[in-house]
Amino acid sequence: MVPLLLGLIASGLSIYWAAPVFLHPRDAVTGSRDYLVDVGRAISNATRYTGDPRYWVYDHFGLGPRYLAGALRLHWALAYPFMLVGVLYVLGLALGGGWRALLPRRSDAGDALRMMRYYAGVIPMAVLRRPWPHPPMRFKYNALQRAAYFGMGVCGVLVVLSGWAMHKPVQLGWLERMFVNYDVARIVHFGCMLAFAGFIVPHVVLAIADGWDTVRSMVVGWSARVRKDAP
Amino acid sequence: VTEEPEDRERTTAPEETVSPEEPVAAEAPEPAEEPVAPKPAPRAWVAEAPEDPIEIPRRRLAAQTRRDFLLFGAGLVASVAGAWWLLPDRTKARLVGRAAHDRLDTLAARVGLSRANRERALNGALTFDDDVAEALYSKNRRVRTYRRSDVTPLRNNYNGQTPGPEYLATWSLQVSGLASGTTERFRIDDLLRRFDLHEEVTRLVCVEGWSAVAWWGGIRFVDFLAAFPPAPDARWAAIRSAVNLDLAGRPDPYYVSIDLGTAQHPQTLLATHLGGRPLPVAHGAPLRLLAPVKLGLKNIKAMTEIVYTATEPPDYWNERGYSKYDGL
Repeated sequence: MVPLLLGLIASGLSIYWAAPVFLHPRDAVTGSRDYLVDVGRAISNATRYTGDPRYWVYDHFGLGPRYLAGALRLHWALAYPFMLVGVLYVLGLALGGGWRALLPRRSDAGDALRMMRYYAGVIPMAVLRRPWPHPPMRFKYNALQRAAYFGMGVCGVLVVLSGWAMHKPVQLGWLERMFVNYDVARIVHFGCMLAFAGFIVPHVVLAIADGWDTVRSMVVGWSARVRKDAP
Repeated sequence: VTEEPEDRERTTAPEETVSPEEPVAAEAPEPAEEPVAPKPAPRAWVAEAPEDPIEIPRRRLAAQTRRDFLLFGAGLVASVAGAWWLLPDRTKARLVGRAAHDRLDTLAARVGLSRANRERALNGALTFDDDVAEALYSKNRRVRTYRRSDVTPLRNNYNGQTPGPEYLATWSLQVSGLASGTTERFRIDDLLRRFDLHEEVTRLVCVEGWSAVAWWGGIRFVDFLAAFPPAPDARWAAIRSAVNLDLAGRPDPYYVSIDLGTAQHPQTLLATHLGGRPLPVAHGAPLRLLAPVKLGLKNIKAMTEIVYTATEPPDYWNERGYSKYDGL
């Protein structure tokens, strides 16, 4: 899923930037009309970048400029496996009953606040060498994890639907209207991409920070830690 | 070595194996003794199942962990190899340097991850996507229309330079491949006199991702087809524009392939007007195709020739790596 997503994001950004998005009146000195070209020049000057300074942003946040045809092919080549993996994930959740652990529940608001307070205090309390107990766990996931995993599921559905709404706005006109119009579907698609990117990095960092048992549990599917209140 | 009873690890319930990527948050240290299990109360259907600990010999756990991590590593290696295979050469060369890129490319080609195979795979994805699009297509489906107040600015996305207005004086539309076997020539006044003008406000969607709502006027392609029917075996219209220029201003004729189904769609126009006025040069004066069931790149500007053909004619952007279907 993650490699597919990374490929989809890189090719998606190349598609998004096929026509420069952030424009200003043409600059007399540089001939540029594109804010991202200006940013690229500035960064290249500051870092002595050896590539084309105009395309710094496009080279680092996509597959590079002038690659629309290739990026589209790559996007379709990855999007179909992505949807397939998504269907397998949903099937697994449904058949194994794992979806129950992801459902938001009424106690989540308070639990989420307690978890935020805990996370905010972990590092200061470690520096101060004070005990800082983890809030009690009543379910498989804490409220923040549940919100994140549930939200990713929602994003997965939205990103696929908004993608189809943009890809076939005439044949799937009902879907385009569900997103109000083509432009809103584009914004939703882009927002989901940001949400995915914003999830993956902290997710992996936190899992590694939590220790070997958690990293192992991500790969093998079980944990050797048993909680005290387990029946 | 015999296994001692304390050489066992307790793990959480096996049901977690259905979603192996989710981390299990657990915080309490292992209890010395297993508490007495209370009588299970009936659970609601949506309630989470309790995570019953199970006991498994430590050695078996270690073996399973080793196996799973080896599989995970193999998946990781396959992903990196797949990424190397699919990414464009320029991107890869920028990431690892030209020399290392060439060495790695040779290595990848040796195990079948060659450039030719990549092109085949990516073109296969494009064809598959076109097949899905064709399966979704229904000729009765109308394109969404808007109010005139919804109109947004329309970009001039002429590929290359926008031609000067000189060509307008001698412009004519030449049509061949007709059932009559003749070649017809039309001036814009002939067309406007002979056919009714239809108006529609539709969205033009560009392959680059931007779109614009515009108010178009023109004659229906289907009316034109009825008045000048194509040869009976014709399935395609090859539409060309001789006036297109490349970025340096040299002639660069543009051509698209349009299936007759699209041409017969009631909202497909041979457009003559934009925003209630005759088309400006930037938007394809005096006559352009408006096929709102297709991406903008099929909506050829300043068309000068239509040839009806039995086989699919060449398409400018298809020859440059894009889909030839381009249906919305």
